[in-house]
Amino acid sequence: MKIIQTENLTRTYAVGSSTVNALRGVSLAVEMGEFVALMGPSGSGKSTMMHLLGCLDTPSAGSYWLEERDVSKLSKDERAEVRNNRIGFIFQTFNLLPRLNALENIALPLLYGRHGGDVNKQASEALGRVGLKPRARHKPNELSGGERQRVAIARALVTSPALILADEPTGNLDSKTGAEIMRLLVELCAEGHTILMVTHDAKVASHAGRILQMQDGEIVEERSTDVTA
Amino acid sequence: MSPLNTLLTALRGISSNALRTTLTTLGIVIGVASVIATLALGNGARAAVNANFRFLGSDQVQIDQDLELKNGQMQAQGKTLTYEDGLNMPSAVPLVDRAEMTVSGSAKLRYGRQTDDINFQGTDAGALLTVISQGQVQPVGWPSNKPLTPKDFIGQGRFFTDAEVLAGDSVCVLGYQTALDLFEGDNPIGQTVWVNRKPCQVIGVLAELEALNVEDRINTRPNDGLFLPVSFAIQNLFDTEPWVTIIAHVTDESKMEEAKAEIATYLRQRHGIPKGPDGKYADDFHMTTKQDVLGAQQQSAATFSLLLTALAIVSLVVGGIGIMNVMLVSVSERTREIGVRMAVGARGRDVVAQFLLEAVLLSAGGGLLGIAVGILTVPIAASLNQGVALLDPNSVPLAFGVSLVTGLVFGLYPALRASQLDPIEALRYE
Repeated sequence: MKIIQTENLTRTYAVGSSTVNALRGVSLAVEMGEFVALMGPSGSGKSTMMHLLGCLDTPSAGSYWLEERDVSKLSKDERAEVRNNRIGFIFQTFNLLPRLNALENIALPLLYGRHGGDVNKQASEALGRVGLKPRARHKPNELSGGERQRVAIARALVTSPALILADEPTGNLDSKTGAEIMRLLVELCAEGHTILMVTHDAKVASHAGRILQMQDGEIVEERSTDVTA
Repeated sequence: MSPLNTLLTALRGISSNALRTTLTTLGIVIGVASVIATLALGNGARAAVNANFRFLGSDQVQIDQDLELKNGQMQAQGKTLTYEDGLNMPSAVPLVDRAEMTVSGSAKLRYGRQTDDINFQGTDAGALLTVISQGQVQPVGWPSNKPLTPKDFIGQGRFFTDAEVLAGDSVCVLGYQTALDLFEGDNPIGQTVWVNRKPCQVIGVLAELEALNVEDRINTRPNDGLFLPVSFAIQNLFDTEPWVTIIAHVTDESKMEEAKAEIATYLRQRHGIPKGPDGKYADDFHMTTKQDVLGAQQQSAATFSLLLTALAIVSLVVGGIGIMNVMLVSVSERTREIGVRMAVGARGRDVVAQFLLEAVLLSAGGGLLGIAVGILTVPIAASLNQGVALLDPNSVPLAFGVSLVTGLVFGLYPALRASQLDPIEALRYE
C-alpha cells in the first residue's frame, strides 16, 4: 500500500504583494515500510513539504493521499484527528513539554482523540521500545539530549501511526548520540514503520533507503541507497 | 480530551506559577466578598423589618393621628382620629373589611392598698397583638427564628374577646410585672382592680416579655402594662375624646395603594379636610404599611449597598481583566506547548477547553477565597450599619456563580487566541 501519494502538490505564500512558490507541483509516492530522506538547502521547500505531509498545512493546489485517503482538503479539526491517529512527529528540538515527565509526554497523543485502552500501559510500552523504562518519571530537563529524542520518538510511536515524520532528528545531538538515534530509526523502519526524514546532512540521509533532493520547490534528484545500517 | 484530563492539564497549568496566580485572583476575591457583604446588608434590613413588624400584616394599614407639641404636651393636630372613625371604616371603605382601634393613656391602678401609676392601652381583642408587636417585644428567651402566635404572649387566663370589647365590659389584662407588683404573688385572675376609681375585673396576665433588641432591654419596661377593651377605656378613662390608632385590614393585598387612597378620602371627608391650593390635602393623620416600613429600612441599607455593589462590579472587572492578562501572558509563554499539543492531535476546542478551564479555575479559586473573606466581613458591615447585616445563605452560591462567569467571560478571549494559533508558527516560536 502506498502510505504517501502526492500529485502536483503546490504551496504558495503571499508575502506582501508578491507570491512565493514554496512548492511547485511535487508528485511523490512512498510505499509502506520505506525510509525516505528529504534533502536540500534551506529555502528548497523541504520544510513546506514536511508540513503538508504532516497535515499541519493544506496545499494551494494538488492532492495528497495518506493511506489512500485524500487528506488535502480536510478541515482544521479533521487534520488534527489525522495527525493524532496516523502521523507521529519527531522534531529537531524534541518539543517535549517541560512540566510533564517522560511517560506523560509519551501519553500526550493518547489523551486527544479517541484512543481506547490503558493509556499508561501503552505509553510504558512505547517507552520500553526506545529503551528508557527506568526514566519514566524523569522530567525532560533531567534527561540527556539523546534520551529526550528517544522520548520524543516514543511519543511518535505510541499511537501506532501510519507515518513517522522526522525533522532533522539528529540536528541537536552530538554525532555519537545522533548515530544511536539513527540506528533506532532504522530499526523502527525494519519493524515496518514508514519514515520520512528531513535533513541536510548527507551522512544522516545515507541511512534512508531512498534520498530525494529538493531545490526551489521541486524534487530534482532521486536515488536509492543500499546502505540500511 | 476527556474532562478529567482537561482538568488535570489545567490544574498543572495554574500551579506552575503559584504566586502570579494568587495575585491575579485578588480582584475576584474583593469582588466576591463585596457581593456577599452587599447581599448581607439587604438581607439584614429585611430581617430587621420582619422581626420588628411580625404582626403588622402585609394586608394592614396603620393609621395614626398627626401630633403636635402644644403647651409642653403632645396633642392631636387638626381633628381627632376617633373610635367612630375606625368603627365606621369597614362599611364606608370598600377595600377595608375590618378595623381595629387602640388608645393609650395613663391611669392610677389600685388593688387593696397597693396603687400603681400606669400607662394603659385600650384595644380590640385582636389589636392587642399589634400593640405588643409595636413594643417590639417577645416572651423572655424566645428563639429568634421561631414564629410567634398570639397565645404565646399569655401567661395566665385569657385576652378579652370581641364581644367584651363591643359591650365595653369592665375587664382587663395586666402586664407581668404590674401583676406581681399589685398582687405580690397572689392569683390575680377574677380579682377586681380599680382604674381611676372604676372597678375592673382581671381576666388575664401576660407572659414575661423582653425587648427584641438586646440593647433596648435596659430602657424598656414591657412588663408594666394594663390592657382594657378600647370602648371601656374611651368611656371611662378620658375627660375628652382621645385619639386612637386604627389598624385597617384590607381585603385584597395587591390593592394596598388603592386602599390607602380610599381610606384617605374617607377620613378627609369625615374630618372636613379641603384640597389645598397646591392640590394637596393638609391631612391630620398618616398611614403606614409594612411595605412603607420595609422601604424605609431598606433605604438606609441601600446607600451602603450601592457603594459595595459598585466596589463589587469594579473589582470583578479589574479581577477579570487581571485574569485575562495573566492568561494572555500564559498563552504567549506557552505558544510552543500549544504547537506541540496541536501537532499531536489537539483540536481547537481542546485548546480552548484547556485555557478556559484554567481561567475558570483561577476565578473559582478567587471566588472561594472571596466567599470566606465576605463571610468574615459581614459582622464588620453590621457594625457599620447599626447591626443590620445578616449573611444571606443564597449569596454564597450566587457569589461563586459570579466568579465562575467572570472567569468564563474574561478567559474566553485568551483561550480562543490560543486555539487559533497556527501549529507551524507555534512550533517555531522561541
